[in-house]
Amino acid sequence: MVQCPSCARRSEPCLVCPQCGGPLPAETDGFTALGLPPKLVIDLDELERAYHTISRRIHPDHFVASPPDVRAASLKGTALLTRSYRILRDSISRGIYWLELKGDKLSESNNRVPAELAELVFEVQEQLAELRASRDQSGDQSKGLAANMLHVRQDLDIAMNRALDELNGNFRRWDSGAASEASLRGELKAVLARIAYLRTLIRDVDRELETVEAA
Amino acid sequence: MAYSSKVLEHYNNPRNVGSFAKDDADVGTGVVGAPECGDVMKLQLKISDSGVIEDARFKTFGCGSAIASSSYVTELVKGKHIDEAIAIRNTTIVQELNLPPVKIHCSVLAEDAIKAAIADWKKRKGTAADDLKVAEG
Repeated sequence: MVQCPSCARRSEPCLVCPQCGGPLPAETDGFTALGLPPKLVIDLDELERAYHTISRRIHPDHFVASPPDVRAASLKGTALLTRSYRILRDSISRGIYWLELKGDKLSESNNRVPAELAELVFEVQEQLAELRASRDQSGDQSKGLAANMLHVRQDLDIAMNRALDELNGNFRRWDSGAASEASLRGELKAVLARIAYLRTLIRDVDRELETVEAA
Repeated sequence: MAYSSKVLEHYNNPRNVGSFAKDDADVGTGVVGAPECGDVMKLQLKISDSGVIEDARFKTFGCGSAIASSSYVTELVKGKHIDEAIAIRNTTIVQELNLPPVKIHCSVLAEDAIKAAIADWKKRKGTAADDLKVAEG
């Protein structure tokens, strides 16, 4: 229970006092901060509405002339609310955060790269190196490599979308309790790692393509 | 963040970059990654029948610290017996390269790459399954 610095009444930890509507000095997880159930599938419009509603209630601008403990609750609450909103609105950071809530970490016993993915990473990186090396020589070879890289970029998008679909499938299974926590956690870590490797690869490809375009 | 001079030295002048043929029976390949930053590291070790590491190659796509860690490791393991190489801890790499706390995971990656490469070699050589478990730790 947490005591409200404005009305002194006690309530369950959350950011807005249910009795008087003032800011509460509660330290909650991100879902609770936004008044949402701990579910991985989130309606983004609903999330945004919740964020704005609570933000309007506890924003520091409303408490400039309030006692220090109320002002402090408003500041801390707003910081927690904003941080939580940013984490939850992106499905990747939401998944990573979920692992932390479960006492796990994305990097914990999770450093083997599946052979197929490793092959893709090395293949694309080598093509990038080739493209980089050809940059100084003008002409058809460089153009051909650049055109090929655009195809690679499209394939990476497809792979990324597939991974994101898998992530959402995993989210749904968590919410419905369709499998044991251990197996869902393993699955979540594997797909988040795959997304991380793909994201790095896409970043590197985009950088190179930008350089090619600028030239 | 500034890199240490040793990291820069390996980064600008990496040792043993490249690959061995994957199907060479004497070569063990370890591919590991850091999901928090998306870095991927491949370490290949050429190992004699008596278990001595004769040569090493690496390819790392990642930050300067990851590249320096793998470059340093290829030098470190050469000439060592696999039992010695498996005992290498990431702290050795951290100390040698003066890695800051945020880059310690790069050294862990390099340590894991050694273990993965040796495990792969043992698997190819068909060493007893118990040994393999130890190697994979």
